[in-house]
Amino acid sequence: MVQLYDDYKDHADFLTVYVREAHPTDEWQMKSNVKDDVCYAQPKTLAQRVAIANDFIQRFHYPIAFGIDDLTNAANDAYAAWPERLYVIDESGRIAYRGGMGPFHYDPNEVRTWLASRYGTVKHDAPAPPIAPNPAAAPTSTPHAT
Amino acid sequence: MSLFWKWTIAVFLVLLIGAFLMLCKMAGSPKDAYGMVRYALPHMHRGNLKVGDDAPDARLVALDGSDHFHIRERTGGRPLVIIFGSYT
Repeated sequence: MVQLYDDYKDHADFLTVYVREAHPTDEWQMKSNVKDDVCYAQPKTLAQRVAIANDFIQRFHYPIAFGIDDLTNAANDAYAAWPERLYVIDESGRIAYRGGMGPFHYDPNEVRTWLASRYGTVKHDAPAPPIAPNPAAAPTSTPHAT
Repeated sequence: MSLFWKWTIAVFLVLLIGAFLMLCKMAGSPKDAYGMVRYALPHMHRGNLKVGDDAPDARLVALDGSDHFHIRERTGGRPLVIIFGSYT
């Protein structure tokens, strides 16, 4: 999402809304959470939600504007957002894109397509080829820039 | 117990075990299947919003924990991409 934000932040505003945890330690914790050291109990207070949100921001140096759904879960309920979902609201305040329910139907590429249809495609350089371990193993042909 | 009820219970158990095995495969393990049923499904809602609907408003808390703002305060000038999610 940060790449998408970087590509289109001159054209669109972005807002991240933190909703109730999907895989807290006291509910359905995933092995990947332990591996990634992302272990939090489901917040019972607003202060706990705020603390987790700030941990996230600091760990990833997350650049996108951030808001926190309070314990009434009003934003979550209004947008059927949990566990993750994407929306685009147009200039008139209407829903222009409604993403599928995450994680199986969460697709930032659909948002990219929506933005690209308005503001054009943002192309990125292809990743550099891996460096050959020794000159003898280097490819003999010259790679073409894309 | 009559033969009818024995068959009914047997079919029910087979369907129950089949559904559980399917969930295990989807979720990854029996523990994850339990987690999905117990904790995820009750909170997953398809919702009624459609493209073209007015975007609902909701009050959000800022990162400092004390300031507030509304989603609709952020709309109107340019398109607004909203990313809902959590840390875990």
